[in-house]
Amino acid sequence: MSTERRTPRSDKELWRSLASRPEGVPAAVSEMDLAAWLDGRLSEEAAAPIEAAVAADPVLRRAALDLADILGKPLPPAPGRMVVRARALVDFEVAREASGGGPFGKWLSGLRLFAGPRPALRQGVMAVAAVVVATGGFMVGGGLGESLAQQRDDYSATESAYVKTTASNEVSAFFAGDGI
Amino acid sequence: MAELNQIDLQALTRGDKRTWDAFVLAAAPLINAVVRRTLTSYRVGEDDVMDAAQDVFVRLCAQDFRLLKTYDPARAGLPTWLSVVARSCAIDHMRRRRQATEPIDDVPEAFLGVEDRHVEKLKIPEGLLTARQVLILKYLYDEERDVVEVARLLSVDAQTIRSTHHKALLRLRAHFREDDPGDGG
Repeated sequence: MSTERRTPRSDKELWRSLASRPEGVPAAVSEMDLAAWLDGRLSEEAAAPIEAAVAADPVLRRAALDLADILGKPLPPAPGRMVVRARALVDFEVAREASGGGPFGKWLSGLRLFAGPRPALRQGVMAVAAVVVATGGFMVGGGLGESLAQQRDDYSATESAYVKTTASNEVSAFFAGDGI
Repeated sequence: MAELNQIDLQALTRGDKRTWDAFVLAAAPLINAVVRRTLTSYRVGEDDVMDAAQDVFVRLCAQDFRLLKTYDPARAGLPTWLSVVARSCAIDHMRRRRQATEPIDDVPEAFLGVEDRHVEKLKIPEGLLTARQVLILKYLYDEERDVVEVARLLSVDAQTIRSTHHKALLRLRAHFREDDPGDGG
């Protein structure tokens, strides 16, 4: 019989000596499940798979502690810029469109190209549509040639008026120079 | 966070502008804190924090508030759920950013290295320890966390953590006969 006795290992040493054997891939945890677990709202049975997944994933373990820490203390206010940018994501126009919108808006919604809160994109498309309509109307109304002719006529009229005004000013200066 | 729990979720998911504004004001401190904490290890600037936080809000209201509509008040508090969502978004943001722009030399080595799962993995007979016991031992020994910190996470008192830890070690020692003098070695 051996007289040697195994030196008892510390708890930590024992645990770490067991840490070299393989275990299964941790299961994915949904955001809702993780939140429910963090809030302590799960039964022991429901919490077990979450705790197993958290135990198996060092990133998730640290995340859980971080979130518990943040949720347990007063927080500093967020930068004003963050609030302004986030508020701009939903505007009154979008809210109105969500509750009905005009026929064109409904047609755009029907295309499903602009699902979601993308006010800038939506406004861009509306602007392009407006330009197309305006250009079409302009072309139907005679196009650029007629417009230029009109502009040229206007310019001639303005120029002759300017000449008259200049002559008139010269006469006034002549009389003014003579003290009249 | 009290204001966050007073948000009218139905009005919010209908796209009501005033409710959205109130929600943003109430949620921004939490989202800001979670995003900053999550991105700490990425060594990013203020603009990235702003963009990642904006991504959280975008994700919340995208596709007619689809994500917000999945929130179930019966299962978790809104602040807790938001914090989990914010963390996921922040990580996604950094992954996308890195894929799009970052030269590999700029990526911290910790993110490129393959984690030594060898140390993390256990082979303890199934059923020997409960999931909670394993989790507590991981926190105490692998993460070297304080008992109070773990107790706060699990919403129990510190004594419960100590007791659970003690029972787990007794089971392990009994199974592996670590302290048994008759084991002979």
